[in-house]
Amino acid sequence: MADTLIFGLFPNVDPTARVVANLQAMGIPDDHVTIMSAVPYSSRLFGRRHPRTRFLPYLALGVLGGLAVALFIAVGTPALYPIKVGAQPVIAPFPPTAIMVFEFVALGTMIMAFVGFLLQSRFPRLSPAIYDERITDGYIGLSVRASDRLADEIIDLYNANGAIDVRRESIALAEPQRFRHLVFWGVLSVLGLGAVLAPLLLTYDIIRIPWINAMYHSPAVGPQEGPRLAAPEAAVPFSGPRLVAGEPATLPLDATENSLQRGGVLYGVYCAICHGYPDGTPGSLRDYFPEVPPINSQRVQSLSHEEIFLTVTNGLNRMPSLAEQLTIGETWDVANYVLSLGEGAAPAGQ
Amino acid sequence: MLETRTETAPFWESPVPEDEVMAQQVAHYRDEHLLLDPRPPAEINGLMLAAMRRTGPVFWLLVVGLGGMVLALFTTWVIQMVYGIGITGLNRSVMWGPYIVNLVYFIGIGHAGTFISAALRLMRYDFRRPIARAAETVTLFGLAMAALFPLIHVGRIWKIYYMFPIPNQRELWPNFRSALLWDATAITTYMIGSTLFMFVALIPDLAMIRDRTTGLRRKIYGAFALGWRGTEGEWHRLEVVSNILGFVIIPVMFSVHTIVSWDFAMAIQPGWHSTIFGPFFIIGALFSGVAAVILVMVIVRKGMRLGYFLRDEHFSAMGIFLMILAMAWVYFYFAEWITNWYGNLPMEVALQEMLTGPLAPFFYLMLFGNIIVPLGTLWSRRVRTSLPAMFVIALFVQIGMYIERVLIIPGMLSRNELPFNWVNYTPRWPELLITAGTFSFLALLYIIWTRVVPIIPVWEVYEGQALQGRRRVGRAILPTRSDPH
Repeated sequence: MADTLIFGLFPNVDPTARVVANLQAMGIPDDHVTIMSAVPYSSRLFGRRHPRTRFLPYLALGVLGGLAVALFIAVGTPALYPIKVGAQPVIAPFPPTAIMVFEFVALGTMIMAFVGFLLQSRFPRLSPAIYDERITDGYIGLSVRASDRLADEIIDLYNANGAIDVRRESIALAEPQRFRHLVFWGVLSVLGLGAVLAPLLLTYDIIRIPWINAMYHSPAVGPQEGPRLAAPEAAVPFSGPRLVAGEPATLPLDATENSLQRGGVLYGVYCAICHGYPDGTPGSLRDYFPEVPPINSQRVQSLSHEEIFLTVTNGLNRMPSLAEQLTIGETWDVANYVLSLGEGAAPAGQ
Repeated sequence: MLETRTETAPFWESPVPEDEVMAQQVAHYRDEHLLLDPRPPAEINGLMLAAMRRTGPVFWLLVVGLGGMVLALFTTWVIQMVYGIGITGLNRSVMWGPYIVNLVYFIGIGHAGTFISAALRLMRYDFRRPIARAAETVTLFGLAMAALFPLIHVGRIWKIYYMFPIPNQRELWPNFRSALLWDATAITTYMIGSTLFMFVALIPDLAMIRDRTTGLRRKIYGAFALGWRGTEGEWHRLEVVSNILGFVIIPVMFSVHTIVSWDFAMAIQPGWHSTIFGPFFIIGALFSGVAAVILVMVIVRKGMRLGYFLRDEHFSAMGIFLMILAMAWVYFYFAEWITNWYGNLPMEVALQEMLTGPLAPFFYLMLFGNIIVPLGTLWSRRVRTSLPAMFVIALFVQIGMYIERVLIIPGMLSRNELPFNWVNYTPRWPELLITAGTFSFLALLYIIWTRVVPIIPVWEVYEGQALQGRRRVGRAILPTRSDPH
């Protein structure tokens, strides 16, 4: 016994609700009755339960998907391609990660809510379904799937309640076109996945394409690399001490008595606290920096004037630079004084 | 068989009471309230379609004029690409000029659409019904215009891919430490969300047009209507998905403008480095956005003759909304200023340049447009229901809010920590043309859009009308509202 579709248009809610009540009384299950309207009437107006919706799984999927993308961007990729910037951690917990998580979770939720809406409503509709254009003009369309045995009775019911344009339609118009939908969404998913995956394969070097990048080939000298170039002829003339590794220093001060005396005072102020006094008394910070060589040790005394000058000016290991405390002349005074303390040092003034 | 009972007429048939006083009351309600003035859906559909089909000489003149400005926009952009960004007035230390002002401004007006639609929908305010889509359209095109400006601003557009997260080849992974990248992510999220939110509510109206067109148009509208039939399940899911999107998009909206404000507040720049910037920007954005929606409502009602849908009650409600936002904006603006002033930090004294410096006229114009005009006028219902007055007020708010962004961005940059670096920025013709061109672009897209989709969500109007009714209490007729959910 074949089923058939009976379709009719009603001008108002009341007759429709009456017909629906009668259909329920005839034992026709609710899901065989479809009500179509241009106004979002609540199902309760027709004495029916709200249609079931199932958004939660979609939303959960959206949240998890968004979370995964966000963590991949904010945590995964920095871990794969770490770039150390200053003292910042490679994976920064608060601002970037939290913001990415928030935005991508929101995006995933919204997209999946929309996808859930489409899938549950079987949108887009790919095959003809029962419908009438007058529905958007305010008519209420009612379609019932019933056996042929009941069809005539239902048509009478429609007519008795003022339906217009009652007609019987093929059951095919009520069949959900599952297969077409499956194909449609399958093709769409494959295309979408491909659109996402193809750039990722390139991005993560799974497919290697030799990009041309001039930055790799340009000559470059790092800040501490290579020989120091001589100043060109036209450069502004340079005055003051010139210290180039391997060349004699220019403009050292002679170790005159005045120079040694100044050097001694400055040594007492700036150096003795760590390097100790000439008589062998250790400096007061000796216990904290045991690796600091005493001033008359071999390690210090074997240095040249220029090396001591550079060490005082630039600092060495944990020794700070004193360039801001001492002028160039004062630094030479200190260097003279330090070397005068060693055994066999030339007496002052000679 | 069910017992017979009194037949209820369709919601659009409301009989006039016999009592003359009551009949007058009913007529009054019909005049005042869209939702108490129901008409058959067929008639409302006809109204809407007639408005969409109306393309008179003014419309085409506008299309040509605005199209010319858009052409000027893209020509200028190409010239700027060829000759470099040096042809603009941007220079040290004002590197962020009108382009960034426009970015913030257009994202700002994009805020109101979602707020009016989503928040008022969730709170079930009925006055939003005919406004919702006009507002969402402001969001959509506002964001589209905003998205142009990073591209225009970077100058060397062909290097834009440096910003994309391609980690391997150049060993440059944009590691999402920069507020600008958070910004791009947030705006993209908001744009996709707003589009979905708008599209979902558009489906029933597209189906309505599909049923009333033929040929190619029918095919196109049919494809976008996705086969909508208006079954109970479809309506119910439409409502659920709109609520879900609404609940998600409101926090996203807050995040977007907060992050836009971080573009500035995360920099140690006098006048920018302020913890209040997030909420301050949100309020400013809503303020300018609601004013933009009022502007659009006036133009749409006049230009498309939609007096049936957009009534005095809607302008009045939006006027009150605008006034409240004006109060909130004043509060935030001066909360920011007064603590800086009292603290008297030398750096922040740059703010005080506004009072007497070269930008002072703009500063006072901003205060006039943003405070005196809305707060001085909108308390009056007569003003709120007068279209020319609302147009002028909303225009003043637009000007004021645009100037506010100008003062914050080039204004603050021109007075930084190093006095030798102080400059007075003057725009040159590329910035001016591009800015004018973008406003025209927005207007052009908008007027074309109003002819392509129904700018009033007619199904929301039917729904509201179906839920409204009236009952007699004593000798008065009172409006009632039912909610079957």
